[in-house]
Amino acid sequence: MFTSDQAQQLAQKVAKLSTFPECQVTVTSSEQAYTRFANNGITTAALGLRQNVTIAVTRDSRTGVYSVDELDDASLRKAVLKAEELAAISPANPEHLPPLGSQEYKKTPSFDEATAKARAPEMIPHVKTIIDVATKQNLVAAGLIERTTRVTAVANKAGLFGFDQSADSQLTTTIRMRDGSSSGWAGQPSVKLSGIDSAKLAATASEKCLRWKNPQRIEPGNYTVVLEPTAAGDLVRLIQSGFSARNTDEGRTFLSKKGGGTLVGEKLFPDYITLRSDPFDPRQTSLPWTTELAPTRSMTWIDKGVVANLAYDRYWASKTGKQPTPGVGGAFFGGDSSLQMEGGDASLEALISSVERGLLITHFWYIRFVNPKTLQQTGLTRDGVFLIENGKITTPVMNLRFLESPVRLLQNTKKLGSAIRVRGLEGGLMIAPALVATDFPLPSISDAV
Amino acid sequence: MLNFRLISISMSMLMRLTRRQFMATTSALAFAGELFSSPKDSRAPSPDLERLGAVGLAEARKYHATYCDVRIVRLRNQQIALRLSPDRDTGKTLAVPNVSESTSFGFGVRVIVNGAWGFASSPLVTKEEIARVTAEAVIIAKANASIQPSPVQLCPVKTYRDRWDTPHEKDPFAVEVAEKLELLQSAAEEVKKNNKVFGSVAALNVRSEDKYFASTEGSSIQQLILQIYGNLDATAVDRKAGISRSRSYVPTNASAGWEYVPQMNFGENAQRIREEVVEHLSAPPVTAGKKDLILMPNHLMLTIHESVAHPTELDRALGYEANYAGTSYITMDKVGKRIASRNCTFIGDRTSPKALGTVGYDDDGVKTSQFTIIEEGIFRNYQTTREQAHMVGDKESHGCSQADSWATVPFQRMPNVWLRPGPQETTLEDLIAGIDDGVLIDGRGSYSIDQQRYNFQFGGDAFWEIKGGKKGKMISSVAYQARTPDFWQACDGIAGPAYWQQYGTTGDAKGEPTQINSISHGCSPSRFRQVNVLVTD
Repeated sequence: MFTSDQAQQLAQKVAKLSTFPECQVTVTSSEQAYTRFANNGITTAALGLRQNVTIAVTRDSRTGVYSVDELDDASLRKAVLKAEELAAISPANPEHLPPLGSQEYKKTPSFDEATAKARAPEMIPHVKTIIDVATKQNLVAAGLIERTTRVTAVANKAGLFGFDQSADSQLTTTIRMRDGSSSGWAGQPSVKLSGIDSAKLAATASEKCLRWKNPQRIEPGNYTVVLEPTAAGDLVRLIQSGFSARNTDEGRTFLSKKGGGTLVGEKLFPDYITLRSDPFDPRQTSLPWTTELAPTRSMTWIDKGVVANLAYDRYWASKTGKQPTPGVGGAFFGGDSSLQMEGGDASLEALISSVERGLLITHFWYIRFVNPKTLQQTGLTRDGVFLIENGKITTPVMNLRFLESPVRLLQNTKKLGSAIRVRGLEGGLMIAPALVATDFPLPSISDAV
Repeated sequence: MLNFRLISISMSMLMRLTRRQFMATTSALAFAGELFSSPKDSRAPSPDLERLGAVGLAEARKYHATYCDVRIVRLRNQQIALRLSPDRDTGKTLAVPNVSESTSFGFGVRVIVNGAWGFASSPLVTKEEIARVTAEAVIIAKANASIQPSPVQLCPVKTYRDRWDTPHEKDPFAVEVAEKLELLQSAAEEVKKNNKVFGSVAALNVRSEDKYFASTEGSSIQQLILQIYGNLDATAVDRKAGISRSRSYVPTNASAGWEYVPQMNFGENAQRIREEVVEHLSAPPVTAGKKDLILMPNHLMLTIHESVAHPTELDRALGYEANYAGTSYITMDKVGKRIASRNCTFIGDRTSPKALGTVGYDDDGVKTSQFTIIEEGIFRNYQTTREQAHMVGDKESHGCSQADSWATVPFQRMPNVWLRPGPQETTLEDLIAGIDDGVLIDGRGSYSIDQQRYNFQFGGDAFWEIKGGKKGKMISSVAYQARTPDFWQACDGIAGPAYWQQYGTTGDAKGEPTQINSISHGCSPSRFRQVNVLVTD
C-alpha cells in the first residue's frame, strides 16, 4: 500500500513523463483480506494486494487511456507511450473539456487504521461466533467477512493532486435449515471492523431461519409491504440513473417531461421523502472528488418530496449554463455509495404494528431493470418473508417476484423507520430506512427457499 | 461526413508513427511480455515461467503443504467504442470516441495445509515475492484449519507439461486501432442513417489472458486465451409520447483471432437494427396471458445460462454459495430424474470451438472435456472441480475450476453449456407454423431468477407477434415468467442443426468476493408451450 507521499511522487512522476499537453494519472492500491464460510466451516480465505496506474493523455482533444499494474520505471514509461499512441490514433472528442487545475479536496472522515490492517486473526472469531450459534441450533451457516483498504491518488499536468485512503468492511451470513427448508439472512457493512456485531447478526439470521420454516403460499397481487432497511436500499438506490441531466434533457428518464423539459421543481413524492448524497458522512466511504476530479460535496436530489436537482457533468453543464454537480452514476447497481434517504423515528416493530394486512420483507435478490426510462425493476424476495395481520407477524410466506419502480415505491411510501447503512447482495451501498409502502406489485410466487 | 473526416485525420496521424515506434511499445511492458513469449511452435511452457513456479512449489513443500499450485497471469484488455449522438444546440451528429487499454500482471498461490485451503496473491512477480506470498498462503491455511469440518480431498489428476493457445491466425492486439475504429465508425454511421434514430454506439473489446499453471502434482501448463466481443446499439426517442426504445446487435462473441471479425457482420446488422429500432418505437404492447414462445438462439442462450447452467453447479447444490449466488432446485436426489422434456439434451463443454469458456486446462490443471448434464430431459451430471468430484462419487473432475484473475481463488465455474439441436429436418418455419397465438423473442433484455433457479422472468431485445402459424408485426413491452422445470417440460420443438448458433455472455458473477466469468451457450430456435407472458412498463 502506498503512503500519501509515495502515491503523490508516483502520480506526479508519471504525469511528467508525457510530452502531451494534458496527462491525468490515477494511482490505486488496494489490499483485501477475507474469510468465506459455508456448511459451518471455512471454505476460502485470502489476502491480496492490487495496484494500478491509469494514464489518460490528450492532445487536440484526442485521448488515449492506458492502465498498467507493473510500476517499474521502464513499464511506466512504456505505458505512457502506449497511451500517447492510442491518443494519436483516436478521433478528436468533440465533448472534451480542458483539464481542471489545482483543487482543494476535503479529507474524508471515515478511515479506521485497525480496519485497514485487519487479517484472519481479527476475522475468524466473528466466523466462529456465527458457526457456533448455527451449530447449537442444528442449523447451517454460510457467509463472508471481508475488509478492503484502498489508497487512491490523482494528479494531472495542470497542477491537480488529490489523495484519499479508505477502509471498509462487511459481514453477511445466511443461516439455513439442514434440510434446506428455511433460510434467514443478516448483514452489516461497517467502516470499522470493530463495529461489526457478529452475535447480533447470528441471532437475527438464525431467528429468521427458525421463524420462516414451512412458508405458506399466498395469492400473488399488490400488497402493503414493510421493507427492512436492506430491502428498501435495494430498490431506492436504483432511482439514481433517473437523475442524469443529459438523459433527462434528451427525453430518456422518468424526469423527462412529455413533449420536452424536465420535472425539476415538481413535487412527485410525499413530504417526508428526502434523498441526498453526502460523501463526508462518517458512516460510509466515498472519494472526495467526482469522476471528473472536481471536489465532491453533498447534494439533495429530492427535497421533501420535490425533485431538487439533476446530475450535470462538466460537458452538459457547459451546454446548458448550469454548474456541474457531483454525479449520481453507475446506473446498474447504484454507483453512488454516499446516497442516503432520510428516515423517520419509528422502530421496525412500530412499522409492523401499523399494518393491518401486509408483508414484511428481509431483502431482495437479482434485481434488474425492466425499463430504463420508467425505472421499472424486477427481482425476488429472499431469506424471510412474513405475513402481517392486524399489526402482528402471523405466518411465514413463500418468496415472491416483484415488478415495480423505485419511483412508484417512494410515491406509495407511508411511514419511515430510522435509517442505517445497508449493503445489497449485489454490492450496492447506501443509508436507507425501513419503510411501509402500499400497493407493491408481487405478481408471482417462487418455490425457492 | 464530419465523422468520416475525423477518421481520415486519425489514419494520417497513425502513419506518422513509425512501425518501429509502434512495435517498441506493443511488445512492451517489459517483463510480462517477455515471460509469456516463447517459440510459437513450442509445446513446452517458457523455462522462465517454470523457474518462477518452482519457487512457490518448493516453498510450500517446506511448510508441509500437501498441495500447492502457482498461477502467473497476464491479462490484457483493449476497449474501443464510438458513440454517435446529436449536439444539443445544433442537432449535428457528434462522434465521441473512447479508446483504452489495460494490462494486469501478477500471481496467486494456493496451498492445502492441515487439510485446509490458503490463498495469497501479489502483483510483484519475482522469486522473492513468490516465496513470501506462498508463506502467507500457508499461514492462512493453518488459521482456516481451526474451523474445518473435514479435510479437503482432491480427486486424482493426470500430470501435463503442455502449452495450449486459443486457435487463431491473427493476434487481435496486433491489429491497428485505426482499423478497429474504422469498422466501428462505419457500423455506427450506418445505424444513424435514419434520422429517426437518436443515437448509436458501436464497441469492440479484445481480451487476452496469458496463464501459467504449476502444481505439486507435477503439471506445468502455459495457455493463451483470446476473446473478442462486439456490440452495436441503437436508441430512438419519441418525446411527445414520452417513449424511449432501443435495439441491439450483439454478435457471437468468441474466443478467436482477428480473422473471425468479418463473420461478426456489423454492416448488414447495422442496417437491420436501424430499421427495427424505429419500428420498436411505435410497436404496440403485447397482450398478457398464456402464449406459445419461439426463443431465438441469441435470447435462449441466456435462459439456458440462468435456468440450466447455474442450477447444475455442484457447489450451489451443496450449499457453498448459499450466502450469495444461492443454492439449487436441482438437489442431489434429482440425479436420474426428469427435469426437462425428452427434446432437451444439454452438454457441458470446455472444448467447443470459439466458445468463450473453452480452454485447454482448467485452473486445477485438469484437461478439459465434454460431459452430459441433461440427457433427453433426465438430469445426469453436475459441473465439478477436483475438490468436488468425490462429493458425487466421481473419480475425475469435469474440469470446471476457474479464477478470473491472478488475484482471485479458483472455484467451480460453469463450462459452456449447449442444447443439442432438434431433428435434421425441423425448420424455424415448422416451429412457427405450429403456433396459433404466440411471440417470437430475439436478443437479450432484462433477466432475473431466484436463488434456487425456480422462478425466472426474462425480457428480450425485440419481439414479434405470431398469429395463425405466421410471424407478424413487431410488438413491445414483453416479458415471460415461468417455473424452470415446468418451462423446460414445455419445450416441444427445437429446430435442426442448420439453425444451431453459439452466443457468448461475459459478466457472469458468482462467489464472494464476486468473480466474473465468460462462457458461450449454443442452441437452435426452440418452441415452448403456454408460458405466462407479461406486459412491462
